Amino acid sequence: MITLTINDKEVTLEKPVSVLEAARQAGIKIPTLCYHEALKPYGGCRLCVVEVERMPKLQTACTLMAADGMVVKTESEGISKVRRGILEFLLINHPLDCPYCDKAGECELQDLVNKYGPTVGRYKEEKRKVPESHKDQIFARNMERCVVCTRCVRMCNDQQGASAISIMGRGNHSRMEPFSSDSFNCEYCGNCLTVCPVGAILSRLYMHSFRPWQVDNEVETICSYCGVGCSLVVQVRDESIKRVIPRTGLGVNRGLLCSRGRFGYEYINSQDRLTTPLVRKNGKLEQSTWSEALHIVAERLSGIKRTDGGSAIAGIGSPRCSNEDNYVFQKFIRMACGSNNIDSISRTGYAAAQKYFEELLGQGITTNLIEGLKNSEVIFVVGGDPTAVNPILGLSIREASRRGAKIVVLGNAKGLDRFKTLQVVPPVFREMEVLEELLVGVSGVKGARGEKLDVDKGIRMLSDTYSGSMDIEGIEELKQTLLNSPSTSIVFGMDLVQRANGHRAVFAIAGLTYLLEARLYLLSDRPNEQGLIDAGCVPDMLPGGRPLDIHDFKRKFETEWGGPIPEEDGKTLFEIIEGARNKSVKALYIMGDNPVFNLPDAQYIKEALQALDFLVVQDLFLSETAQLADVVLPALGWTEKTGTYTNLERRIQLQKKAVNAGSGMEDWKIISEVSGKMGYKMAYSDAEDIMDEIAKVSPLYRDLTYREISKGNCLWPYHGEPLRGEIHELPAMVDAASDFRADFYLALEKPLFHSGTLSRRSPALMKICPEPTLKINGAAARKLGLHEGNRVQVTTAAGSSEVPVSIDDTIKDNKVLLSNNFEGQGLFSLLTYTLDPVTKAPGIEGCEVRLIKI
Amino acid sequence: MIDENMRQTIEGLIKKFPCRDSAVVPSLSYIQKVKGHISENDMEDLAIILQFPEARIFSAASFYSMLKLMPKARYHIQVCTNVSCSLVETETLFDHISGKLGIGEGEITPDGLFSLESVECLGSCGYAPAMMVNSEHYENLNFKKADEIIELIIKEFTGKYP
Repeated sequence: MITLTINDKEVTLEKPVSVLEAARQAGIKIPTLCYHEALKPYGGCRLCVVEVERMPKLQTACTLMAADGMVVKTESEGISKVRRGILEFLLINHPLDCPYCDKAGECELQDLVNKYGPTVGRYKEEKRKVPESHKDQIFARNMERCVVCTRCVRMCNDQQGASAISIMGRGNHSRMEPFSSDSFNCEYCGNCLTVCPVGAILSRLYMHSFRPWQVDNEVETICSYCGVGCSLVVQVRDESIKRVIPRTGLGVNRGLLCSRGRFGYEYINSQDRLTTPLVRKNGKLEQSTWSEALHIVAERLSGIKRTDGGSAIAGIGSPRCSNEDNYVFQKFIRMACGSNNIDSISRTGYAAAQKYFEELLGQGITTNLIEGLKNSEVIFVVGGDPTAVNPILGLSIREASRRGAKIVVLGNAKGLDRFKTLQVVPPVFREMEVLEELLVGVSGVKGARGEKLDVDKGIRMLSDTYSGSMDIEGIEELKQTLLNSPSTSIVFGMDLVQRANGHRAVFAIAGLTYLLEARLYLLSDRPNEQGLIDAGCVPDMLPGGRPLDIHDFKRKFETEWGGPIPEEDGKTLFEIIEGARNKSVKALYIMGDNPVFNLPDAQYIKEALQALDFLVVQDLFLSETAQLADVVLPALGWTEKTGTYTNLERRIQLQKKAVNAGSGMEDWKIISEVSGKMGYKMAYSDAEDIMDEIAKVSPLYRDLTYREISKGNCLWPYHGEPLRGEIHELPAMVDAASDFRADFYLALEKPLFHSGTLSRRSPALMKICPEPTLKINGAAARKLGLHEGNRVQVTTAAGSSEVPVSIDDTIKDNKVLLSNNFEGQGLFSLLTYTLDPVTKAPGIEGCEVRLIKI
Repeated sequence: MIDENMRQTIEGLIKKFPCRDSAVVPSLSYIQKVKGHISENDMEDLAIILQFPEARIFSAASFYSMLKLMPKARYHIQVCTNVSCSLVETETLFDHISGKLGIGEGEITPDGLFSLESVECLGSCGYAPAMMVNSEHYENLNFKKADEIIELIIKEFTGKYP
């Protein structure tokens, strides 16, 4: 316990902190400029100087640790004089263009000068002249205003780990600059923007469009892009979002954001938003009214239910919609339509892996906090780049690396290039065998663990059939690193799940997790993949992860919902697609998703949807799927409605309404209206009402209220019992993968700046990354005579596309990467799939690709 | 571009230090020794060799006035413009030389013989004013002495290099 006196006030500290923090705890404000809560103390600006008894000179409070018995004075005539002097020095170069500067009103220098500073400087020479740089698409850089506090650089180096900017020059000529001095060419997280105390780095997205004090409404909410669920603050003026800012220390992200979260909000104001319901008349989608559209939907669905039975109707929920939306949706499909055919796009990765993990380990979800990654000694990254899929989770890995943890990567993870200790890049599409080899190796040393006998059996089967080493560089070292680690985390991306026999990769990861007693993290690239499963948007489970085939659970829900839940087993996503093709599914209701674009083999999916008798799509935009629909219903998006989201670590968070939408209805509302017209009444007045019902029926959300959730730190309890019963299938031991002899293989790239349908309507993200590029190894490109920016024709068995080339030497040999984010140029339209027998996820096939220079 | 030969020398430099980052400045001065100046491409290549962010290499390179980021003339004159050196006469030494050669800060004479640059302290405050011509250090200067040095170079140059 440390007790010190600050301004005659006794302060007792629990933990040793700096004098500055001690003073802040006691409610005494010491002025600072270079200090920032999120960064390490720097002691550069000297504004926080204080008098300490028995110390001859003034001390910087930010770097001085509080000690027992210290007597500190934070304000005096002498101190004010020093501070005034420092500010006068800063104003030698800082232009007094506050009336024009965007930062005015929230500028720390302005506030300080207002309090301490000289109103007139005595320095008569000319000020430093540097023109404001607008060469970057997102950031404006004004180096006249810079006070060289280095907050931005420290943020970029120590927190974000991008190290894209630095202080150039020295003395009077010091300035912050990105390497190329032109565009930033960085991760565009914008965290430098957050920490700049003056108007030296500004966002061009809202430049000169409003003043910080002219904000009508400020709402603390969560991000709508990925499964991390970062907290952020939305500032609104005149019913439009002016900017998105983080708040230091808030939420899972602790005040850091990524490019998607910070700059990707503009799609909400997009001109392409649907404004009225559309109904297909004479083969064409025409504008209609809500009453007509809802009437048609209810009528047609009732008709199909009458003639073909409930099982001819299916629903696709959305990992972009809230728990409430998905809960109401599955209830509608089950109760009003009488069908268990409900699934979502998550079946392509997260939901599929999660289910198989649950069968194997008794837990499918990430049962650890994202923050816990920082404390791991070894982090094993497989199947995707966490810094692109879940950027903020990726930052935890980078932080662990800075702390001295070993980061081992299997495959490509570009964002971890400077942070990894070991990388093993197997030949194209052979990651799965490497994982199996690792598992066999680890089990050879560790033996059976004897807790999950089926998993032990599976590993033994694998060891018995295992035939010789693959001889890949680094694999032995990787094995030793894992074996010698005191605490291991495994970060598993969904790339390997989407391969033929993807369940083998899941089994290998489960086996490693089991043998090494590792912590498992599943990456999730949509905001509510976990919540969607918890809400019951899966064919085999009711809300709260209650299996449909356990009679007691089912009866409980039947009492609560007032009617029978259909007996028949539900179809998974791809079974629904098959069903549509073979006419066993006649009507499909899609809420907030775009399967034609998001699923492999676009042509096949399109044909399936066209074969339907009736297709309803509920979305923000007229997506590729909506264009095929019979009825399109405009929904509401992020910040336009309230709802809860469950992130990948089971954290339930509230997404709040910030603006009034011009048109559209909440997803749950549209569905409950249709349901009412079909004879199954759902009387909810608002989203909170639905949450109350979920809290009643779902054991995961028991007694949860919006008030409780908005306090934060609301994780649903994990009990560790395998809810969906025992293992159904162990991995089939397929012979080592078939020959990969084609010249090039196409694989999916998950880029940092895009997520698909939403991000491509965000002008800022489109400026950062305007078009898809084919990433190719430098040596391979030279062989084809390709240079950076050359256009190339990419041809597979399923289709062909024209894209520019970008050279990336982190990709090995004959693999080329393409993203699936841009209209008409998605990777998935070029590939086909086969269904994995165990996970029911699509195993992507037909990756052999021909590249022709144009 | 850093060729294979240079890369191996830099790898050798790295071995002398406890971590790769420490080799930034020695590698930069080595590059300058070989090429005369450090280009953006060199820094990009060095970043790959050292596994160190480009921006931070640039930061170090731009901090040291002895490291040149632009091609320089045969004789590169650096004049101190700090307080002591500027106190000597009413016109500063820098302005004088600038007038004599007809070039300003960072410029090169049309014949490519001289380039001029003002620098912060050269560590000769007690013997001010001071300047450097390439790696030669000159102290206790006045306008006359500076003129003599420049003229001597011109004379020698016209003699040796037609």
